[in-house]
Amino acid sequence: MAEIALHASNISKFFYDPVKIPVLKDISIDVNKGEFVSIVGKSGCGKSTLLYVLSTMDTDYTGELNINGTKVTGKSLNDLARIRNSSIGFVFQFHYLLPDFTCLKNVMIPALRLGKLSYKEVEEKAYEKLKMFGVEEQALKKANKLSGGQQQRVAIARALINDPAIIMGDEPTGNLDSKNTGIVFDLFQKLSKEYGQTIITVTHDEDFANKSDRIIEMTDGEVSSHGK
Amino acid sequence: MKINVNTEIALTYLLSRPKQTIVASLGVMFGISMFIFMQSLMKGTNDYFEKSSFSSTPHIKLYNENIVANLHLLNSLPNDNSVKILTNPKQVQQNQGLTNPYGIINSLYKNPEIANITPQVTAQVLYTSGSVQITGTVAGVNIVEEDKMFDVKGNMQQGNFLDINRVNNGLLIGKGIADKLSLHVGDNITVRAGTGSAVIMRVVGIYATTIKQIDETKSYASLIQAQNLLGKDRSYVTDIKINLKDYNNAPKVARDIETITGYKAEDWVHANEQLKAAFKIRAIILNSVIGVILLVAGFGIYNILNMTIYEKIKEIAILKAEGFSGQAVTSIFLQQAIYIGLMGGIIGIIVGYLVTLMVSRIYIGAGTLKYLPMSFYIPHYIQAISFGILTTIAAGFFPARKASKVDPVTIIRG
Ligand SMILES: Nc1ncnc2c1ncn2[C@@H]1O[C@H](COP(=O)(O)OP(=O)(O)O)[C@@H](O)[C@H]1O
Ligand SMILES: [Mg+2]
Repeated sequence: MAEIALHASNISKFFYDPVKIPVLKDISIDVNKGEFVSIVGKSGCGKSTLLYVLSTMDTDYTGELNINGTKVTGKSLNDLARIRNSSIGFVFQFHYLLPDFTCLKNVMIPALRLGKLSYKEVEEKAYEKLKMFGVEEQALKKANKLSGGQQQRVAIARALINDPAIIMGDEPTGNLDSKNTGIVFDLFQKLSKEYGQTIITVTHDEDFANKSDRIIEMTDGEVSSHGK
Repeated sequence: MKINVNTEIALTYLLSRPKQTIVASLGVMFGISMFIFMQSLMKGTNDYFEKSSFSSTPHIKLYNENIVANLHLLNSLPNDNSVKILTNPKQVQQNQGLTNPYGIINSLYKNPEIANITPQVTAQVLYTSGSVQITGTVAGVNIVEEDKMFDVKGNMQQGNFLDINRVNNGLLIGKGIADKLSLHVGDNITVRAGTGSAVIMRVVGIYATTIKQIDETKSYASLIQAQNLLGKDRSYVTDIKINLKDYNNAPKVARDIETITGYKAEDWVHANEQLKAAFKIRAIILNSVIGVILLVAGFGIYNILNMTIYEKIKEIAILKAEGFSGQAVTSIFLQQAIYIGLMGGIIGIIVGYLVTLMVSRIYIGAGTLKYLPMSFYIPHYIQAISFGILTTIAAGFFPARKASKVDPVTIIRG
């Protein structure tokens, strides 16, 4: 039996806007280690909200979340920050790079925060990641000097720098053309197949979803299909 | 060099907005340099006034104070059992001076805190020249010791102060007296002490202190001359003037001397209460001004940090999503405040020193005060830097805490 990377049980969440609206309704998901999962669903059905909960950034929910066999629900903000830093890589729909820093620095910062490697090693590793996405030429440019596609590729490189067990993406290819989307997909697949990293990504791209290992479908805050 | 990632981010943020960083540092710099300049000026001025007050007042003056009449003598009547009542007691003039003054002086010299002692005979007098009369005092002194304690020589305008010992009936008068009675060295002046007879004396010198009131009333004669004016014998002394090695100990030593001798020992702090009050008022004014300046500087820092946080709120959210804890974010923004404070503080110290130095060279020439008195006192500089850093941290604390509380989800969702 495969190892479980992420286990969510009975996750519910409400927004108060100003009346109580349920956004996530009793969601239970298991994702195996090394699995490449796509989450699809209509706009507004709660995909992003779910992903923020799974990534430990949002703690305002009921239910229980386990990552790599450890219960993270109820942990302190500091502990959660440490878990995110070491075990979770997040790619947003918008790149959200820090514009005052070079691309290389942007990729390096999470690793410097982690503090496992020396500055030199982090630098080399960050450069390697940039190379994987073909943006090594841009390494020393300020992040805001790049094109949208390049920025997003740098942002993905940043999410991978600490070799996180789980990589989460909220429409990571939403702003990329088909060629770049292809590069990202191939890379995600390689990470899951060769390095055993778990990928959970929200996508609107049917092609992208169909090529992944499993598709989870959401409708109105509920999981309507767990895929296979 | 391995620098912490928080530090690296803090520095990058500061460098990416050089103008605001410099303006905020200038605020701190201004505060610190003003602090140093004002403190130096105040301490310099206080020291000057303290010193100039010592040019005429001893650290401690020992004299026989008038006392209120008591029942002591009545009660000492023998074989008398009646109850005595004294109604409406009055002050009794103690005109016998100090008993055994030279014995007292010899025993005082054993006190290691004391540097100089000199006896004085003070006489209230009427100066007459031509048809003009003015009141004043003659201080009968040992002029050599007096000079050691109060620098009589430095105040001399005309004549030689030592002549009061050499010239019979010699008198050293203040410039105010000389002007009022239009006297010059070599002129005669009639001096009459309250109870004594008029004596014709000779002006041997004219002095001027910084204090007008003294110059208009006081003159010096030898001890013997003053005793003659009052018709007293050679052991008659009204005051003993005492200078200490450290004048700050005056109140304590004065109390000791009072207990030992039984006479009134007045220290300079009591004699110059208005001087002390002036010091205090100046300190209050100064501290308010410095407080306001540092407050403004603090607001500058508070402002720039708040603005940074407002502009970078998305980036803060990203840092948190990447795994920066609240503490790490606090550290990033507090460090920015500290670097602004440090930069402003160091430049402020240099500027403060230079301004102090420059102002100390401005000629003002008021009386004996030729240049503005400025002190160069290391603790001022240490205080300035500490205050600066304290202000900076206080100003940076609230924005930094605000940044640490940013909720990444709320911000990223938009
Ligand atoms: N801060 C909020 N307050 C109230 N409702 C919200 C808030 N954020 C999102 N929603 C609502 O929650 C639902 C789910 O949003 P979201 O998770 O972003 O959907 P998706 O990513 O699937 O498009 C939507 O109906 C949205 O309007
Ligand atoms: Mg969404």
